[in-house]
Amino acid sequence: MSNVIRGKRLETLVKRKPAGVSQWSIAWRRFKKNKAALAGLVIVGAIIVIAVFSPIIARYPLNYLASFNEEGRIRMPPSSKYWFGTDYIGRDVFSQLVYGAGNVLYVGFGAAAIAMSLAIAIGIASGYLGGLVDNVLMRITEIFLVIPFLLILLVFLRVAMAIAPSGVGSLTMVTLMIGLFSWASNARIIRGEVLRVKQNEYIEAAIALGASKWRIMFRHVLPNVLHVIIVLTTLQIATAILVEAGVSFLGFGDPNSVTWGQQLQGASEAVKEAWWEGIFPGLFITLLVLGFNLLGNGLRDALDPRLRE
Amino acid sequence: MPTKREGFKAIRFKVHNIAKNSMTKYVLRRLLYLIPIFFGILIIVFVATRMAGDPVKLMTGLNPRITFEARERLTQYYGLDQPLYYQFLKFVWEMLQGNLGNSYAIRGGTAVTTLVGNYAWETFKLQLAALFFSLVIAIPIGILSARKQYSKLDMTVTTTSLVGTCIPIFYMGIVAILIFSYFLGWFPYGAAHSLDPTRYPFGSYLLDELWHMFLPVAALTFAELAPVVLLVRSSMLEVLRQDYILAARASGLSERTVIYKHALRNALIPVVTYVGLYFGGMLAGAPITEKVFNWPGVGRLYVEAISKLDFPVITGITVFVTLMVLVANLITDIAYAYIDPRIRIE
Repeated sequence: MSNVIRGKRLETLVKRKPAGVSQWSIAWRRFKKNKAALAGLVIVGAIIVIAVFSPIIARYPLNYLASFNEEGRIRMPPSSKYWFGTDYIGRDVFSQLVYGAGNVLYVGFGAAAIAMSLAIAIGIASGYLGGLVDNVLMRITEIFLVIPFLLILLVFLRVAMAIAPSGVGSLTMVTLMIGLFSWASNARIIRGEVLRVKQNEYIEAAIALGASKWRIMFRHVLPNVLHVIIVLTTLQIATAILVEAGVSFLGFGDPNSVTWGQQLQGASEAVKEAWWEGIFPGLFITLLVLGFNLLGNGLRDALDPRLRE
Repeated sequence: MPTKREGFKAIRFKVHNIAKNSMTKYVLRRLLYLIPIFFGILIIVFVATRMAGDPVKLMTGLNPRITFEARERLTQYYGLDQPLYYQFLKFVWEMLQGNLGNSYAIRGGTAVTTLVGNYAWETFKLQLAALFFSLVIAIPIGILSARKQYSKLDMTVTTTSLVGTCIPIFYMGIVAILIFSYFLGWFPYGAAHSLDPTRYPFGSYLLDELWHMFLPVAALTFAELAPVVLLVRSSMLEVLRQDYILAARASGLSERTVIYKHALRNALIPVVTYVGLYFGGMLAGAPITEKVFNWPGVGRLYVEAISKLDFPVITGITVFVTLMVLVANLITDIAYAYIDPRIRIE
């Protein structure tokens, strides 16, 4: 009996993969130990789940004037019927929050994707190619670095409104604008990292073997700055969510899609009469941003090869 | 003995000496460097505003008695019928003479410079007070937190700061107003002054001003506190690991001297950069702060100008804020080079 078991164990031993562990599993092992990072993952995961299952979780249809239609009242305080109360036209704050989750994440991920694509392209080209390319790209980056971000963003959102009236794809427009104006600092960090990676012998080896510049940039440089890119992306999502909330709060968001910032804008008109209208959306913004920041910090600790013991 | 120089020769000598000074050279180089950046931003704003819509249409669209000819005349009056490059060059030419144009919407064309002059102080007042308090509070906390790394205090400080960086300023403002203004009734909600002089506390205008400032400054301070604490802490930790700190300690200096005389100066270098860079961010973030607290500053003026397509005000405030940001950056660079001599040699 025991022989069979031992035989099985031997077999599995033979079949097992070689003893080496991949970079990603090392990172995951380190990440798992970090409680704060796991908390971030849980928060972000929970809000993604809310966004995906929003029609099931929400208690009323989208934009349904629940308390106005059913009771003829607006701004009702939290109760068992309206968990987070109702807003200035009688919508259920909780349900609107749930519907908003998807939009908030859309802006966060979308804007981060745009900003990071630009940052990666510019950072790698500038860092690896150097010379004139670097000079020109970095001067442009500097303009975008010192630009009074929010002021310019507001003007451009007004332009977006003028170009695409009546809100067709307006949330996409907001996303695009935020993305287009927040790549600069990331590009600079990636460039710095590329300059560091460029010094390595394997780059020299690749050049000696006759690899093209494109091949070196995408097969050798990019994978080695990937850990920085992942961290920056996570933090960029958090920033984009904050920016969208701020812009919506000022009334420059998409009027046709529910976002948490927009809920706060409606609430700020009557903080005294209906505290519940603003408290909950603000809490969710803070929570989600915190989640992404914790996740980003955790990833930084887990992925940074220099911190590895 | 140095020979005595007179007249033109003396001046030439002085100029020569100034140019030889590496610090002056550094400052001049930075200054020259800022000009293209300034114009780059200016072009972006200028073109963007012109794409945002037609202010004449916005102003007269709802009034059926205004004829087509009158609209044409208005467009001509504002110079909006000219080609874009001509408008831009005219704007730059006037700007160099200190004229930022006249508002389209506010009280029959108030000069933008007057407007900015009136509103800027209210904005600065808040931001500078908040910056001052956040630095004064954050630096000692950051140092303490770094000295007692991984202690309960450190954990509390870092956690609070991390959460603090995630709270949007407008949310913090709303909560502050809710608690201290509505529930406790200690402070007024919004506005910079009481309208009615009889409501001044003890009849003092200054006290009234401070009373109104308290909540916005407190909220802004807290918002700016968090990142500075984290920065001071991490930079202090970095410095405390250096060999020269070990050497200072080994030579028997007191902990106080080691921290405040040797470590602090180097630990504050990133903070200087931070303050310089984020000063711009603060000014640009003014629209949000000023909306929450209903504060009569540049930010609120800006948002109103955008909704009315008031081109000169939009461009004027952008010019003003950009200049402030660039000057702050320049001062940062200089302070940086002053603290850390390695920077000057490039």
